[in-house]
Amino acid sequence: MTARKNTAMHTRRMLALLPYLKQGETLKLAELAAAVGAPEAEVAADLTALSYCGVPPFTPDEMIDLAIDGDTVTVYSAPPALDRPVRLAPREARALVAALQAAGHGSDDPLVTRLLAAASAEIDPAELAATLRAGDASAPVVGIYAMLAEAIESGSKIRIGYFSAGSGTHSDRVICPYALANERGAWYVKALCESAGDVRTFRLDRIREAEPTGERFERSQSVSASVIPDGEGLPLAVLRLAPGARHTEERDWPGAAFNLKQNGAVFAEVPYSSATWVARRVAAGLGMIDAIETPEVRAAVREVAQRALAELEG
Amino acid sequence: MPDPGERLVNLALFLAKTPRFVSAEELRSEGLGYPEDQDEAAFLRMFERDKEALRAAGIAIEVDEDECYRLDRAGTFATEVMLSAEETATIRTAVAALATDESFPFAEDLTIALAKLGQGAPAPVSVATTLVDEDPRAQGASAALTAEAIASRKFVAFDYTNAKGESRMHEVAPYGIFFREGRWYLVGLDTSIGEIRVYALKRATNMRVNATAPKTPDFERPDWFAVAEYSLLPFQYGPTPFEAVVRFSAEDAWRAARLSGGNGTIAEQPDGCALWRIEVGDPRGLASWCVEHGPGVVPLEPQTVVDIFRVGLTEVLARHDR
Repeated sequence: MTARKNTAMHTRRMLALLPYLKQGETLKLAELAAAVGAPEAEVAADLTALSYCGVPPFTPDEMIDLAIDGDTVTVYSAPPALDRPVRLAPREARALVAALQAAGHGSDDPLVTRLLAAASAEIDPAELAATLRAGDASAPVVGIYAMLAEAIESGSKIRIGYFSAGSGTHSDRVICPYALANERGAWYVKALCESAGDVRTFRLDRIREAEPTGERFERSQSVSASVIPDGEGLPLAVLRLAPGARHTEERDWPGAAFNLKQNGAVFAEVPYSSATWVARRVAAGLGMIDAIETPEVRAAVREVAQRALAELEG
Repeated sequence: MPDPGERLVNLALFLAKTPRFVSAEELRSEGLGYPEDQDEAAFLRMFERDKEALRAAGIAIEVDEDECYRLDRAGTFATEVMLSAEETATIRTAVAALATDESFPFAEDLTIALAKLGQGAPAPVSVATTLVDEDPRAQGASAALTAEAIASRKFVAFDYTNAKGESRMHEVAPYGIFFREGRWYLVGLDTSIGEIRVYALKRATNMRVNATAPKTPDFERPDWFAVAEYSLLPFQYGPTPFEAVVRFSAEDAWRAARLSGGNGTIAEQPDGCALWRIEVGDPRGLASWCVEHGPGVVPLEPQTVVDIFRVGLTEVLARHDR
């Protein structure tokens, strides 16, 4: 980061800190650091710089008077002005819109519109909508996302109707949501599934509907928000991918080991927990991907292809 | 010399505390932190930069006909936003997680936005995002540069390696940026061919923004441009677009809206099925997509796609007969 960019960020953070500095309050440095998204040491430096700020004649009552003591800061004299939040600068509004788009909110979503109207004077929502798309706007997922986020905070059980891509089946389950994760733009919830009696990962765009059961749960275990399965101990499917086939990148087969052959074909060893998931992708190769191993996966490929053909004819 | 940040905060506080218009010279003499031994030209340059920095931080400054300055209170202070518990949770979780995702190009600005909204406290729930899985930092940095160039309407230049492995430098008037399935894409007018193209930032290196005359735009974006029209599903790209129809079974009809990504139109049928009409550029890609997102998803039209679906799956069966 350049010195000028550093100064700009330092200044923006100092200005953002001002409304938090209420006279007579003792604040935790860690909380202020979290509030402005910066390390505690940098926020301590920002606060120290603020303690030299004020307005003429720079007498004690016209200065920001604070003292940092260990991990807390005590405010003796609040800022003489700018003690309430200022509007978002255009680039900050753009960041907020992009983040909400990533969470599934479109540019014309009511929450986005309301936030921009209240918090940003200069931004042109139409310009942002025309130039930026940081996620797929999908209203049903937005509602489910918001419900799960709130349920995680409050410890509320949720009943979901879910489509399992692994098995290709629909089911109703009651889950205790633990964590949300985004992987390559798709949102997932990790939750204790009461039907399975274990922690499971559910992709939000495969949840048909969701509603709170009215019951609460106590979180009994720590859960990583990672959704990449640990391939250790899983059976390995061996695939042959012809040149030009879809899904020939390593990112398409999590945990796979790739081996390029002289004729341009690629052999991949893919750890799997669901034979049907692998089979569906093999079948989607329309003859350009072969499952060599395992017999379970080959059987699943046949089943997927037969069912799809039956649906076409039916 | 005092910390430039202190000078800027002093200037902002002074403008906020003073209801009248104030000249640059008066601001200089108020002891806000401008060097006393600075000549007039150097002071004016510094003052210009300070005004820009404050505006970039959300402080709106009015100027009167005598070149005097005053805080624009209506333009500066945010009004209170009432949020429901679910809206608060949405912002605290998704947005707070993205602020620490190095592949999210607006993370730094997002932290300040959250602080201003009073939503910057740590999310009390476990949440993590990995928007980009390949070179997340590099893609995030290229996307950030691109976004700046879009806002300032400056050309960008970069070295690009296409899917065939061919590399060359491109100069592009950047019109928009979008994210899809773990990758950031730039849409813009390639100046050497005079056409709008989509570039995967994963394939772009040495991205730079035209630094000459930074306050003067290099181009005007066409009024009709909308980045959403370029953010297509993979099978929609192709040389000869045509319309296709995909049927979702009654049990799977609800999935149509989720899978369409807002592209095409979906019509529910009396029997509960959903028909999705969509523009397609790659017939084989659509047939493959239908298999991948099944069961319950089959192509209906045109016959070309239906045939590819049928022949391809028959081939799959033949290759996995035992």
